[in-house]
Amino acid sequence: MKIAVCVKHAVDETELKMGSDGRPILEGAIARISTFDKNAVEEALRLKAALGGEIAAFTVGTPEARKTAKEALAMGADRGTLVVADGDVDSLQTANLIAAALKKTGPFDMIICSEGASDTYTGQVPPMLAELLGVPYVGYARKIEPLAQGFRIERSLEDTVETVEAQTPLVISVVSEINEPRYPTLIQIMQASKKPLEELKESDLGAKPVASARVTSVMAQVSSRKHVMIEGSPEEAAQKLVEALSREGVL
Amino acid sequence: MDSAVWSYSENDSVAAEVAGAAANLASQTGSKALGLDFGGVGKPAASSGRLVLQGPSKDELTSEVAAEAIFRAVKQFQPSTVLIGATRSGRETVARLAAKLGVGCLSDVFSLKAEADGLVGERSAFAGRVVAKVKTGYPAVATVKLGAYQRLESGGAGVESFDVGAIQSSVKVIGRSPKEAGAVDLKSAKIIVSAGRGIKKKEDLSMIQSLANQMGGALGCSRPLSSDLGWLPEEHHIGLTGITVKPDLYLAVGISGQLQHIAGMKDSKVVAAINTDKDAPMFLASDYGIVGDLYQIVPAIQRALQTKR
Repeated sequence: MKIAVCVKHAVDETELKMGSDGRPILEGAIARISTFDKNAVEEALRLKAALGGEIAAFTVGTPEARKTAKEALAMGADRGTLVVADGDVDSLQTANLIAAALKKTGPFDMIICSEGASDTYTGQVPPMLAELLGVPYVGYARKIEPLAQGFRIERSLEDTVETVEAQTPLVISVVSEINEPRYPTLIQIMQASKKPLEELKESDLGAKPVASARVTSVMAQVSSRKHVMIEGSPEEAAQKLVEALSREGVL
Repeated sequence: MDSAVWSYSENDSVAAEVAGAAANLASQTGSKALGLDFGGVGKPAASSGRLVLQGPSKDELTSEVAAEAIFRAVKQFQPSTVLIGATRSGRETVARLAAKLGVGCLSDVFSLKAEADGLVGERSAFAGRVVAKVKTGYPAVATVKLGAYQRLESGGAGVESFDVGAIQSSVKVIGRSPKEAGAVDLKSAKIIVSAGRGIKKKEDLSMIQSLANQMGGALGCSRPLSSDLGWLPEEHHIGLTGITVKPDLYLAVGISGQLQHIAGMKDSKVVAAINTDKDAPMFLASDYGIVGDLYQIVPAIQRALQTKR
């Protein structure tokens, strides 16, 4: 089975610094593979272990996104493709570029994504990919089970678990509860640099341009919490907390 | 029906919120707001009435089918904007609709402003550390953050209908079952007591549950407890990839306060935290904090609550 896994080079929200003007400093911000995308890679590895085949990792971004493609290779993907975009891309443009890259290097039986990127968390790329490729899509998968033909998949929705059956080629997004991603060993990290990592330019792909949503401003979220630290023995502190919460009218 | 604002959710309660968002947006430009209705699914209550889409039955209404049906209606009626509730299915429907229309898509917005050349929405990004304004041209599509808008309960008159025709689904739905843990209704809970890694063993959760019961609240947890340790079902997980809550009181017990957890509870009215580490980021997101051993403080709170009554 040929599996494609999509990974995003995402700004690490835990290391994002805020400037004195109240704006996040995105220029040069530390970025790495989106946390939940590791679950997508892990699921691809498990399916490959069960069914055989090959895994290709795809990412879209600046040349720096090589780092993220390499992370997928270190985890166990067999080859990688980095699509270098001409500028900032939104989710539809990203899906458009990945779809073009998949067509150019495919065909693939299964395309696995995570439920959303850890930085923007819109979850739009996987369903958009399915639309652009014209293939079935199953989102928010928490369990993927191969059948004699196709797959049975449990979708984790808010209050419901929906079980569906779908045939390949197929786009799947997985929830982060589906598995526990492995950590690559030092040897795997070293071996990853020997694996093929192809770089495609946006212009190489000839993808038809699409409209986009544009970020017009970004501001740090201002916390308006009181930050009252309650001191004293456990009994005193507990008593004061209960009094404070009663005064707030929430107890 | 030119320049109308449409609203939709497959979930009735969410549909009322999205109708509220649509009414708000439509009032900015003096246009009509219409709720989409698939013969009873997502029964909307939009300000100017509703548009019944005939064709797919309720059982067939996957995000794939809903997106195609709405796409066909958009082609017919050319609304300015389609708003959909940001449930998991809603996110899928919007993304598919945007791809069909070839337009950018706003996601999880909590405010909307109609400008002449496009729709501007505000949303959280970077696990809630940043508020971003995002703009997309018309026709605009967006998901509306759950709980962001007042529900619109009563609709205007005026029902129109449109036959979207037959739509094939490419996946087969075999079954639907409610998630376990019937007691979990964190979304509507006024008080949530939430447990984190500071809990040393699974059995000790009964102490936190007992505090939640005493306060008349519900039990939540951070991701490690439901995901890594498996001590609670994932329905209890509050955070970016879990559920988002905004109770009157959120009491975080032994939760360090990773950003992805904060993203799920930051809109709570009052937040209190108990942690042994005075530098735990949870305190930065709290109104009241106690540095100390939860195994001493939780029983002390229980005693204090008893005396209070």
